[in-house]
Amino acid sequence: MTDSLEAIGITVRYGGNVAVDGIDVAVPAGRMVGMVGANGAGKSTLINAIAGWSRGTPVVRGEVRLAGQKMDGLPPHRRAERGLVLVPEGKGIFAELTVMENLALVRPPADTRGRHAFSMDDIFTLFPRLAERRGHKGRMLSGGERQMVAVSRALRAAPAVLLLDEPSAGLAPRLVHELLTTMRGLVDRGLSLLLVEQNARATLELVDELYLLERGKVVAREAASDMKDDPRILEAYLGNLTA
Amino acid sequence: MNLTQQVINGLVLGSGYALVAIGWTVLLGAARLVNFAHGQLYMLAAFLAWAAMQKLGVSYFVAVPLSVLALGLLGVALQGMMQRLVMQQNLTSLMIVTLGFGYVIQGSAARIFGGDPQTFASPLEKASVHLGELWFTWQDVVTLVGTLLLFGVLWLVLNRTRLGALVRSVAEDPKLAQLFGINAAQVYIGVFVFECAAVALGAGLVAPRSPILASMGFDEVILTFVVVVLGGIGSVGGSLLAGFGLGMFTALFGALVSPAYTTAAAFLVLLTVLVVRPGGLAAR
Repeated sequence: MTDSLEAIGITVRYGGNVAVDGIDVAVPAGRMVGMVGANGAGKSTLINAIAGWSRGTPVVRGEVRLAGQKMDGLPPHRRAERGLVLVPEGKGIFAELTVMENLALVRPPADTRGRHAFSMDDIFTLFPRLAERRGHKGRMLSGGERQMVAVSRALRAAPAVLLLDEPSAGLAPRLVHELLTTMRGLVDRGLSLLLVEQNARATLELVDELYLLERGKVVAREAASDMKDDPRILEAYLGNLTA
Repeated sequence: MNLTQQVINGLVLGSGYALVAIGWTVLLGAARLVNFAHGQLYMLAAFLAWAAMQKLGVSYFVAVPLSVLALGLLGVALQGMMQRLVMQQNLTSLMIVTLGFGYVIQGSAARIFGGDPQTFASPLEKASVHLGELWFTWQDVVTLVGTLLLFGVLWLVLNRTRLGALVRSVAEDPKLAQLFGINAAQVYIGVFVFECAAVALGAGLVAPRSPILASMGFDEVILTFVVVVLGGIGSVGGSLLAGFGLGMFTALFGALVSPAYTTAAAFLVLLTVLVVRPGGLAAR
């Protein structure tokens, strides 16, 4: 199976601190790859570096390829144009713009070959709640609704690979389940997805492959079905799952 | 004192204040940027239009658009030079750098155009309208109508179009905008071009009222500051209201008390408004 996304030897430094240390990541076409790890393991730093985006000023080394095309060196808006689309952790929408304005900001590419295009109708079918809230400003939405807008915004950009950073942060478990199940449905329709999550249990149930990060390094990478029995996952993240 | 005449004077004066300030309103409010060379850009635009009339022999109606075009291009150059500071939203450095630009522009203008006052004449300034005891010029009419039109169009663009949403999104969070596929640097260039072009239009319509000098600009930037803050930073409607309010106050205070203390009194009003309504007149 060909890889939609390849990140090779990604190293991210903040000043003298190495936050991500030479990590390789591959997302095969039409697969959902998960990345779990404790706070500070470097998950968000890594996914942001792949998107070429950061709120700080990190020094990033390594290669990023999207369907074989070199992405490193491109600014984040150029990577988004080419289909490498990030939904960042936390504030992923504009609070002073309405739902429709947030979604209309994105201009879907004219050529969607190898991409997954979503019309406004598709978005509202996927998230009917947003159709009701289309005239509301971002700051008036609940956490779950904001996350729906953030994901929808990314889908409007017709992603080739969707990078999703901690979509469950601050959401009720039911909403997390709904959102991640929706994402899995999109993957089953051909979307490639890299999901960063703290919620290892929910992630394991949905992804095809899982990376385990610790202190900026990959300490395990296996098929999700095998990872369920990995003692490191069980001990660190799943607690009494097998009890 | 003819009160109706003073009201007309106030409206005309106020539309000029609002027109000169509109670029700053967008720059500060919609893009969270500052440009303390605003007053010198006003001066430069007036001199460019004057020079076009004197040296190229073009009419006022050609000279003003030429000056608007030239200032728009200067806006591209200024933003290009300051791009890194702008992208970092480094307002302190931007303030110092734009103050520096202002002095460079002023010095260059004095060197090129000389230190003597010049007459930047508009044919509309000489065409007056008399209605009984009331009096105004066609320049006043064009300034008032032009200001209302520009503010109306600007409000519609900012609030009802994708372009406006782009500007507002970059103002709110330029980093996040990049993830939406938006080139924030291009949006900033657009906002700078608008600011420079708008102040050139303001100069084209307002400067013919009095002789122009290379040393002018400070009063304009101070009045712009008052209008922008009084109206509520970034509020297009608030700036229009504040411009007219300030114009009316200046006209009536000048007629009823003394023109000599108008600026001091205007700042007293600004302080009072900010104490009562810290967000400005447009604050909700």
